[in-house]
Amino acid sequence: MTLGGWIIMTLSVSFVTLLLAWSLYRVLRDSGPAPNDDDGEEDGE
Amino acid sequence: MHTPGKKREAWATQLGVILAVMGSAVGLGNFLRFPGLAAKYEGGAFMIPYFTALLFLGLPLCWAEWALGRYGGNRGHNSGPGIFRAVSSKRFVPYGGVLVLIVPIVIYMYYVFIEAWCLAYAWYMLTGQLALGKNSAEYVKFFDNFVGGSRDGVLFGAGGGPTLSFVALCFLLNFTLIYRGLSKGIEWFCRWAMPALILCAIVVVIRVLTLGTPNPAEPEWNVLNGLGFMWNPHTDKIPFGEALQNPQMWMEAAGQIFFSISVGFGTIITYSSYLRRRDDVALSALTGAAGNEFCEVALGGLMTIPAAFVFLGPVACEHCGSSFDLGFKTLPMIFQYMPLGQIVGTLFFILLFLAAVTSSVAMLQPGVALMEEGLGMRRKTSVLWLGLLTMLGTGFIVFFSKNLVALNTFDFWVGTLAIYLLATAEAILFGWVLGIKQGMAEIDAGAKIRVPRILGFILKYVTPVYLLGVIALWIRQQIMVSKDNQFRAIADDPVVRWSVVFIVAVSLLLGVLTFFSLRRWRKAERARQEATP
Repeated sequence: MTLGGWIIMTLSVSFVTLLLAWSLYRVLRDSGPAPNDDDGEEDGE
Repeated sequence: MHTPGKKREAWATQLGVILAVMGSAVGLGNFLRFPGLAAKYEGGAFMIPYFTALLFLGLPLCWAEWALGRYGGNRGHNSGPGIFRAVSSKRFVPYGGVLVLIVPIVIYMYYVFIEAWCLAYAWYMLTGQLALGKNSAEYVKFFDNFVGGSRDGVLFGAGGGPTLSFVALCFLLNFTLIYRGLSKGIEWFCRWAMPALILCAIVVVIRVLTLGTPNPAEPEWNVLNGLGFMWNPHTDKIPFGEALQNPQMWMEAAGQIFFSISVGFGTIITYSSYLRRRDDVALSALTGAAGNEFCEVALGGLMTIPAAFVFLGPVACEHCGSSFDLGFKTLPMIFQYMPLGQIVGTLFFILLFLAAVTSSVAMLQPGVALMEEGLGMRRKTSVLWLGLLTMLGTGFIVFFSKNLVALNTFDFWVGTLAIYLLATAEAILFGWVLGIKQGMAEIDAGAKIRVPRILGFILKYVTPVYLLGVIALWIRQQIMVSKDNQFRAIADDPVVRWSVVFIVAVSLLLGVLTFFSLRRWRKAERARQEATP
């Protein structure tokens, strides 16, 4: 495996892993009830 | 449109909808198609157009689909035509939403057949029936027998029992989940299936990366060189800069992002229509896409090609062929060489099966949504009618099984071309009909992250141009090729012709259902206006 291969593999795998980890962290951190202006249970239309 | 006072379906949790969307996106392409393409196009060099397409095509369209879906859902619509109508009530706009029905329903018809292969292969691997030795011809023969590749109608004869049983099992599972509803069926299933899928994939990746040099007679066939085969920019063959000038590679990278992330499939837009008014779409869309990319790049990219390389070597790897060849002919043989191969092989096909089910069940929801809100059917009736329609289509695919011609025809016209068209329609709907100002406001409503402002410009100008360019290049390439030319095959091959007739008939049927739905919605609106003093 060449140095170029190592760099591309490491950057690609790290990027997608960190992106998922950060997104999931934000989702779980903010997973409290959202300030909804409707409950979505009833639809008046 | 929802009946006033009727309880509206909704997701139970934000994580639940994200896992459901992630499940709809993660499929066979992540573990079979992506590694094959990356290895084919100078490995590492492929990642440049791949990530460019992710940033300018995949992610923007994801945000647009999530926002359009929630916009329609909060105006009482969960079906494609309804969501399109919520954006613009001009006479023909809602008919653009028919594609939101055609794409997933027709793809389901053949996808469930492939799903059955995954389930069957997991079973056969577990029970040792796939231990066919180290002769590749045996695996080709096994696959052809199982899918009925020798002649049309063979699976409806004496030997087709096992295949039909696995197809029936998959149908039963999908329709049970869809009948149970959004939260109790799809969300419940994806909440455990997605972590299970990722766990299976991690086990397989660890096994592959610890294989070392399994064949001492071939010291070059080792894991590091296997990773190199997949990821090296191949500067010794073609310079990196020259590799990047290959337009075919840019087109295929865009196509891969597109199919992998499931934009233009009609599933994200439908799923997000069940969100509440202030539910986040910005972070959810990003997380769903990130989960799909993780499965594709970090798991799929480290698994399939290195495994094939260490046992078969570089020459055989270059001829791994299509996704089906790699997944159902090459890999089962590789698991026979591998220590603990029976367990790893079973886990691999279980993960493919879970990836397929979470995708296929998503393909049914758009159809159910139209029948419920457009035609006023109850869940039981809508599931029954959709079951009959898709069973007819799957029966067609299973009957015309010779060389998988019908399956490939459906995949070409709907699984490729119609997806491009739907994504283009959605990009135009968001950027030009709804308008960027309102569209961005929709993405920002309830957002837990702030999307970059440049997204508006990208969605209005870059994405549609990028998409139209890719479609034009793709059509040109399809017309130019002499082998497997799908345009010419309509005249030459009766199975291709009948397949196209079938797709047109299903499309017309869905168009007629949309017509009646629109009439019903207009009538309901008139009645409401008259009732208002």
